[in-house]
Amino acid sequence: MPVPADRHFFIDPRRCIGCQSCVHACSECDTHKGHSMIHLEYVGRGDSPQTVPTICMHCDSPTCAEVCPADAIKRTEDGVVQSARKARCIACSNCVLACPFGVPKMNVGFELMMKCDMCYDRTSVGLKPMCATVCPSQALCFGTEEEIRTLRPRSTFVHAFRFGQQTISTKVRVMVPKESEVLSLDVTAALNEEEAKDPMAAMFTEGNP
Amino acid sequence: MGCGLLATGILGGLILVGSRRLSHLDAALVAYTFATLFATFGIAYRYAMWLQRPPTAMLWRRGWQVFLRPRALLRNLALLGHRLLVVFALNRFIWRRHVARGAAHWLIMAGTVLAVLITFPLVFGWIHFEAAAGEHGRYVTYVFGFPTLAFHVDSLLAGLVFHGLSWASLLVIAGVMLAMRRRMRDRDAAALQRFGEDFLPLMLLFSISVTGLMLVVSYEWMRGYAYEFLSILHAVTVITALLWLPFGKFFHIFQRPAQLGAAFYKDAGERGEQARCARCGEPYASLMHVEDLIEVERKLGYRYELAQRADHYQRVCPRCRRSLLALAQGRCFGGGAEEV
Amino acid sequence: MAHLPRSDLEIIGRFGPHLAFPEGDRLDRGVEPDRVVKTHCCFCGQQCGIQLKVKDNRIIGFEPWEEFPFNHGLLCPKGVRRYLQGSHPDRLLRALVRDERAEGGFRPACYEEAIRLAADGIARVQREHGPDAVAVLTGASLTNEKAYLMGKFARVCLKTSNIDYNGRLCMVSAAAGNKKAFGIDRAANPWSDIPDAGVVWISGANVAECAPITTDYVWQARERGAKVVVVDPRMTPIARTADLFLPVRPGRDIALFNGILHLMIENGWIDRKFVETHTTGFDEVAAHVKEWPPRRTAEATGIAERAIRQAAEWWGTAETSFLLHSRGIEHSSHGVQNVLGAINIVLASGRIGRPGCGYATITGQANGQGGREHGQKCDQLPGARDLSDPAAREHVAKVWGIAPGDIPGPGVDAYEIFRRVDQGGVRGLVSICFNPVVSLPDSSFVRRMLEKLDFYVVIDFFLNETARHADVVLPGSLQEEDEGTITQVEGRVIRIRRAVDPPGEAREDWRVIQDLAKALGREKGFTFASPREIFDELRRASAGGIADYSGMTWEKIEEQHGVFWPCPREEHAGTPRLFEPDSWNPIAKGKGPFYFPDGKARFVVARYAPPAEDPDADYPIFLTSGRVVSQYLSGTQTRRIGPLVEQYPEPRIEMHPRLAERLGIGDGDWATVETRRGTCTLKAQVVRTIRPDTIFIPYHWAGPRSVNRITNSAQDPISKIPEYKACAARVRKAEGPPPYASEREAQQ
Repeated sequence: MPVPADRHFFIDPRRCIGCQSCVHACSECDTHKGHSMIHLEYVGRGDSPQTVPTICMHCDSPTCAEVCPADAIKRTEDGVVQSARKARCIACSNCVLACPFGVPKMNVGFELMMKCDMCYDRTSVGLKPMCATVCPSQALCFGTEEEIRTLRPRSTFVHAFRFGQQTISTKVRVMVPKESEVLSLDVTAALNEEEAKDPMAAMFTEGNP
Repeated sequence: MGCGLLATGILGGLILVGSRRLSHLDAALVAYTFATLFATFGIAYRYAMWLQRPPTAMLWRRGWQVFLRPRALLRNLALLGHRLLVVFALNRFIWRRHVARGAAHWLIMAGTVLAVLITFPLVFGWIHFEAAAGEHGRYVTYVFGFPTLAFHVDSLLAGLVFHGLSWASLLVIAGVMLAMRRRMRDRDAAALQRFGEDFLPLMLLFSISVTGLMLVVSYEWMRGYAYEFLSILHAVTVITALLWLPFGKFFHIFQRPAQLGAAFYKDAGERGEQARCARCGEPYASLMHVEDLIEVERKLGYRYELAQRADHYQRVCPRCRRSLLALAQGRCFGGGAEEV
Repeated sequence: MAHLPRSDLEIIGRFGPHLAFPEGDRLDRGVEPDRVVKTHCCFCGQQCGIQLKVKDNRIIGFEPWEEFPFNHGLLCPKGVRRYLQGSHPDRLLRALVRDERAEGGFRPACYEEAIRLAADGIARVQREHGPDAVAVLTGASLTNEKAYLMGKFARVCLKTSNIDYNGRLCMVSAAAGNKKAFGIDRAANPWSDIPDAGVVWISGANVAECAPITTDYVWQARERGAKVVVVDPRMTPIARTADLFLPVRPGRDIALFNGILHLMIENGWIDRKFVETHTTGFDEVAAHVKEWPPRRTAEATGIAERAIRQAAEWWGTAETSFLLHSRGIEHSSHGVQNVLGAINIVLASGRIGRPGCGYATITGQANGQGGREHGQKCDQLPGARDLSDPAAREHVAKVWGIAPGDIPGPGVDAYEIFRRVDQGGVRGLVSICFNPVVSLPDSSFVRRMLEKLDFYVVIDFFLNETARHADVVLPGSLQEEDEGTITQVEGRVIRIRRAVDPPGEAREDWRVIQDLAKALGREKGFTFASPREIFDELRRASAGGIADYSGMTWEKIEEQHGVFWPCPREEHAGTPRLFEPDSWNPIAKGKGPFYFPDGKARFVVARYAPPAEDPDADYPIFLTSGRVVSQYLSGTQTRRIGPLVEQYPEPRIEMHPRLAERLGIGDGDWATVETRRGTCTLKAQVVRTIRPDTIFIPYHWAGPRSVNRITNSAQDPISKIPEYKACAARVRKAEGPPPYASEREAQQ
């Protein structure tokens, strides 16, 4: 059964609290039981508690699949980019290095690339992916566009991302402010920015009164 | 197309030579021979097309290049032996995925390889047996027309050789059973499997094995009951599998050796210069791999070129790529707590 | 008597904590569960709904429960991994009796023998030293039924006044403050009011780690335009994205609240009509906060003055709002004052008792709310009744079938019980669901007191660090091995369903208690056949009280996905939101929405004073403590769950790079924190997300990794909560890894 066409993944990394619920829940899914496919990382723990959860964005024309020398990565008709086919993957890591979102994981012992398949065992029978079901901040959210508009009136979403001159469109949506009117998110623009190094500095005074 | 024809031609030639101008070719097996020739054409054609894809071409070229590097050749040859054993003969990586998976695959593989080793030379007339002159019950094995091993028809060796296909069938059936159990029972399989890709090959292998065994049963214990029908049925299953060989899951048998290329490529990459991330400065992959991918991506029509920090997005490590998405998104909202 | 006969390491080797990981059936993708049980997570007061998959009397996994209205399937990592506590290798399957010669110092004993030994020991101490010589320590993770039974057991069976519970380390400041201001102690609003709030004010609550699913409620409010204000000495994940973050100096929250109220009055941001109609005491408080102009507030709190002004403006001018606080302001020797300060700015705004206008403390323990209502607190009887109120005694005595005079008077708080051990007043102890060796401050003292006891009985499912001191250990039940009800953070009573039977010779806790009562020869009143029967008695005992459960049935709880107390009649649907303008309550009897005879809320002056132990020249740094998201309380359960331990294996000392640089400490270096009570050597984590004058250490670990060996046992004079959140410390770089690092695993 395909994933219902009206249900989508919406990500709002701003909301992420780094609790790792998604990481734990991910490994409970049947298509990759015991292996978590989510990346959850601090952007820079020394400077900020900001964390970023990464699931597969399910590109419309996936770079990972195109750079695969073994034709091991397939996108099903419902737009889900599946984990590498076990019979074909030759563990070359091209996908791991080429994915613009940094998604695939190489399982060295298995000689197999494994990645988020949107919990195909769940989504293909009408359930939500495990991570989005449990995510306490709903940084990872799965539902219809209608639901997300009602729940998040001040946000809208994009599913096109710019990397240099390349634009990649995806099945997964990322939340942006409603008023921003961006049609695609310029990901590599963030490369050129220096992050604020001391987020708390302006807000307190030291020492005892 | 050329490759396909060439491979088919070579095999045809070998059959001519090996069977001593078809003199040892069993007429009953002609259909098999033609199916094999067709499969050869299909496989060679698909293989050639496959090799033309930019990433495959790159891996093919680099794989041989790094394998044949004079300084590494000796070590590579030793490694090759090791890898052939643990990867191909033993399927260690599949056992690691799951014991049941390993067992299923290994049994099917062992059975199939055994069957192929016995059948094809017989079909092509590369091997045939002749009664030894003057010695009753003793047979000589002819390989490519040359006499080799001789054995007695009641010997254990004879039992093994003449019933080799039965043993192979039993291995395959056991493997198919294990694989089917998993496919019928496990929820991951239920979600992901496709009929053509996953069930059909198992069904083909199963029907080949079972009809083959039925032939044995027929002539050993049932005085050839329905033997002709069974042999046609068996031929149909085998020929279907042969014709399907270039298209379905079985093609992985021919793609799989690329795993060796990938392994040697990785070895060479690890020993070579490492790429450092343009954002965090940490090493994350071999420079050769990164540059090869840049070339492959360009050939595929991607334009991941950057104006600042680096020439190409490929020079940013996967971890930083993940952070960049969050930073870019956060920027849209104007950052975190208000500065007041 | 209760000396540890063996080294810690030998006990750990025998009884854990060891780690459990998913394996076998729990990884098999082909196994179908026999049944799926709708119940709740056992870790924290939110009590998220969850479904447990059961196969062959073992819990093999979970499935989110999306229909449950509080969390809609959301779960934090503890919830996701909670199923791993079942069938654990460390699980106590038999009773244990102290035996110096046995491995780990205990020999397994048959259940009946252990009950007899326990009863004999208790009887001996009481015979020799009087009923009060045996104290009972209980916990706020117990179901309402068990909490009720423990209170009754102490007072009716043991006839001791010395019963208290570990809610003493958790909710008591909020409870006392709420009682003083509102006359009732419960979250004033359901969480569904949070999304409608125009300002969400979070003081001293690390929502993202201690109440993770509340994060979504806060974001729902933001999505509708709410401003979020977070007050915390650390930039917690929720603080990072707040509209305004006030990095307060530890122990200065009253100053902040008073300063905010000062600005509200100065700018006319007061709901005069509400204040006049529904409150008393405003003028006195207004006069008091006159002394808190922004400059002084900024100096005391260490927060920039303009940030304080901005916060006051947002709070003062909001249409709707929700104020949340938790242990950050409550774990203080002025915890009650802090809470009253918070309530004052809520009352002054008039924004309470209406949709989108709310106030709540975020309870920390599983049954933090219900656990404090049914009589396991030293001064309380079921229904949140006051133990010294003659009418309350009479009502409860009638339910219990005893004379009011037979109910002992108020006892002392949990920490004081240990001081009584020191003084010789308490010589025997029965404990359940409490691990004071890890969770009480200055825990070396607690450990010495346990060693001093004549006789100690523990009921538990794992042999935790405190239970190691016991003479008899009775194997009790995990949450999923028994049924009952729990009152979660919102005041919603929910159903805990039994998923599996207690393994081996373990029994449901209430059976163990009843068996003890029987062995003591005081069986009367302890012959319940099921938790449901206990609940029915609890309903009668609570009838007419403030926490009135009398109209609740298990069926109604199941049908409605929980019932909010008060629920005084069977046809009553419960009370999700307190203090609605025309609401009726048994104290005001229609005079007003608050639980005082005049129906009015009380403004109470919140007086500022620094922590009991402020930094000085010798100990110049604030030490504060708290939780991490992957661990729960003293870690008895969560330090046995492998994936949770891997997430954050051992405590670290969070410190600012400026402080670290001054001390010559780098990220990952071993450092020693020293207070007047001792030292603790851990690895440093150097981060800019904490005030440079403060260090933070999470408290879930035992032995040499336990920060509570060095925290301060100063208590709030009213609530008796210990001051975990601020004491004075000094830090130095350690010469190398301490010996424990190579001897024990991270969770041990």
